[in-house]
Amino acid sequence: MKVSCMQANLARGLSVVGRAVATRSTLPVLSNILLSTEESRLKLSATNLEIGINCWIPAKVEREGATTIPARLLSDFVNSLSGEKVDMELIARTQTLHVRCDRSEANIKGIDAQEYPLILVPDEDEPIRIGTDELQQMIDRVAFAAATDESRPVLTGVQAELGPESFTFAAADSYRLSVSSMPLDRGPETQMSVIIPARALQELRRISSDEDSVEVRVAGNRNQIFFHLDSVDLVSQLVEGSFPDYKQIIPQSHNTRTVVSTGEFLKAVRIAAIFARDSANICQIHVAPNGTAGYGRLIVSATSQEHGDNVSELDARVEGPPIDIAFNARYLQEALGVIDTAEVALETRDPTNPGVIRPVGGGDFTHIIMPMQVAR
Amino acid sequence: MNRQIVHVDLDAFFASVECLLNPSLVGKPLLVGGAPGGRGVVSAASYEARARGVRSAMPMAQALRLCPEAVRVPPRHGTYGHYSRAVMALLAEYTPVVEQVSIDEAFLDLSGTEGLHGPAEDVARAIQGRVQAEHGLPCSLGVATNKLVAKIACSQGKPRGLVVVPPGGEAAFLAPLSIESLWGVGEATGKRLRALGIDTVGDLASWTEASLRSLFGEAGTQLFRAAHGIDESPVSPDRERRSYSHERTFASDESDVAHVRRTILAMSDDLAAQLRRDGTVAQTVRLKLRSRDFTTYTRQVRLEHPTDVADEICSAATALLEENWDRRSLRLVGVGVTDLLGHGGIQLSMFDEGVQRQRRLSQALDGIRARYGHEAITRASLAGNHSGGEDDLEDEP
Repeated sequence: MKVSCMQANLARGLSVVGRAVATRSTLPVLSNILLSTEESRLKLSATNLEIGINCWIPAKVEREGATTIPARLLSDFVNSLSGEKVDMELIARTQTLHVRCDRSEANIKGIDAQEYPLILVPDEDEPIRIGTDELQQMIDRVAFAAATDESRPVLTGVQAELGPESFTFAAADSYRLSVSSMPLDRGPETQMSVIIPARALQELRRISSDEDSVEVRVAGNRNQIFFHLDSVDLVSQLVEGSFPDYKQIIPQSHNTRTVVSTGEFLKAVRIAAIFARDSANICQIHVAPNGTAGYGRLIVSATSQEHGDNVSELDARVEGPPIDIAFNARYLQEALGVIDTAEVALETRDPTNPGVIRPVGGGDFTHIIMPMQVAR
Repeated sequence: MNRQIVHVDLDAFFASVECLLNPSLVGKPLLVGGAPGGRGVVSAASYEARARGVRSAMPMAQALRLCPEAVRVPPRHGTYGHYSRAVMALLAEYTPVVEQVSIDEAFLDLSGTEGLHGPAEDVARAIQGRVQAEHGLPCSLGVATNKLVAKIACSQGKPRGLVVVPPGGEAAFLAPLSIESLWGVGEATGKRLRALGIDTVGDLASWTEASLRSLFGEAGTQLFRAAHGIDESPVSPDRERRSYSHERTFASDESDVAHVRRTILAMSDDLAAQLRRDGTVAQTVRLKLRSRDFTTYTRQVRLEHPTDVADEICSAATALLEENWDRRSLRLVGVGVTDLLGHGGIQLSMFDEGVQRQRRLSQALDGIRARYGHEAITRASLAGNHSGGEDDLEDEP
């Protein structure tokens, strides 16, 4: 293999695939990146067997070939280079990659490309096409609510329901649930549901910034999902199992509906979080109508057992009786952080039933947070 | 204005409870503690056994050599806790200022209650009578103007004693006592003091503060004040608990993973029950291991959400065990919880499963135990291995 490319392109490509590199694997080759030539492009690939990413960068190929090179070493080296053009040549007999850029050069020992698992991307069936902006917004609204601990694997995923005219994402970690839907121009003819690892969607979010749309293919027989972008493919294993019936968790009614400025609410919760740090993140919410029909205030407070307390007061539109309810400040912050409307509604029934957060006048998005039990 | 401090101490508490529950033991030398075969130690000894030289914390084997005809019973901590709470509730009728020091000891500050209950000495006598009459337990009391003197007075009167030290008489009361009767004078300090010719508190009181400071540093001031019967520490009723812990010394060095895990589960059960009883939750779980060569190490982990559920405490402690135990035989294992949140903070879950379900189950078990006793119900995996078993379990205050 003998190939040349621009340092900036190579650095970008390595960072795109870098997150799919296995960090702790029993298979040494998985901590490497696969470099292979494809017509006039250099293909970079990495997989941790859960997700795999292929990325193509423009290159001048003098001699076809492939090898795998330790990811950290190659990325760190390429990122440190200051020249414009990088020349690479594989010494096949020793599996050593000779890299030269400007006046720097290096010999990096690799592992034979034959040992690297294949990342297969089907292109036979018609893909579902989703606008990148919409997809990114859906990922932002939902993926953060997925569980990070593996005790219930289905909860580490995002339930994706793709239908002829719309698609829905839902994620829950037992303490909160995020559900959002958007219209789909050309969805699948029949409704399908899969559970996509939240981490795969977050990677997709990270690497899909420059594209207009993303092609999605589901290979049910292989239990995989494929996202195709202009110069990047992302493949992910699907999570097996069935997602809990989240629809029955979404409260059908509420006693009190409180509408406040999203920005002010978020700011008040951020301040409360500072004081809640050593008290299990307990953020107390007190909603009180003020006598004038439809108006009132929302008070956010937190108490540090050792160091003091904090109270912030917000003007609110309140329908219903007063309520005191406590939430984990981090959950509130994360939910309010992805609401992009000027106002947000908090719907509550009582201190032990879930609170529902919705944007006011924008999008089909519902976020549910379970309260915390506190002594009063 | 002099304070009126009373120190109450239940006499040979565990042994007294055992006699109460089994009157045939009354008058016999009785030892509460683990079996002599292993490392059992004496948790409590009746006065009949003490007369033969048996002391608390003495190895059971040694105690039985001193007193071969003694009856040994394994401890029942849940039962003692029940009696302890009843006595503490009785004390609280006389003043809200009650500081419970341990399961069988408390200080009361009666200052200002004379108008209501009469002189402190009368209150002390009434308490002694009521604890005996209503709960069947003997106790000793000391009355003085501060905690230091009240406690020493109480210990001088044991058992069934009532010793009153009048205001101004503190130094005279302490003078003839051996220096080891003072707080903070242990074996090491005692030896140094005796080497200086100081045998009694009175001897110590003849030294100046400056010379004691030059010999003992900061502790010298404490010794000087103690020798003169000066103690201004308040009786703190809301002395807040900062942690709960249990530890167990194995009957023989333990290397059986399954047994260590069961021990951790039993202790987690007890800790969780204490948390629920006190209406608090904990966010940090601690594991203490001591290997055969006495190397002791403690590891802790902060939980994502605070808890009062045994399974969560147990799984955190077990994970710490997996990460930190080098599989050398263990002499002792301990589990503790800290970062307590008295005002709650349980994160509710949307699926009625896992932790939430266990909490409801635990609450139901608490109810059964409150009605039928601690041993009425237990986990199958712990059956025949309850916390009052043959190993030596200790509660730390």
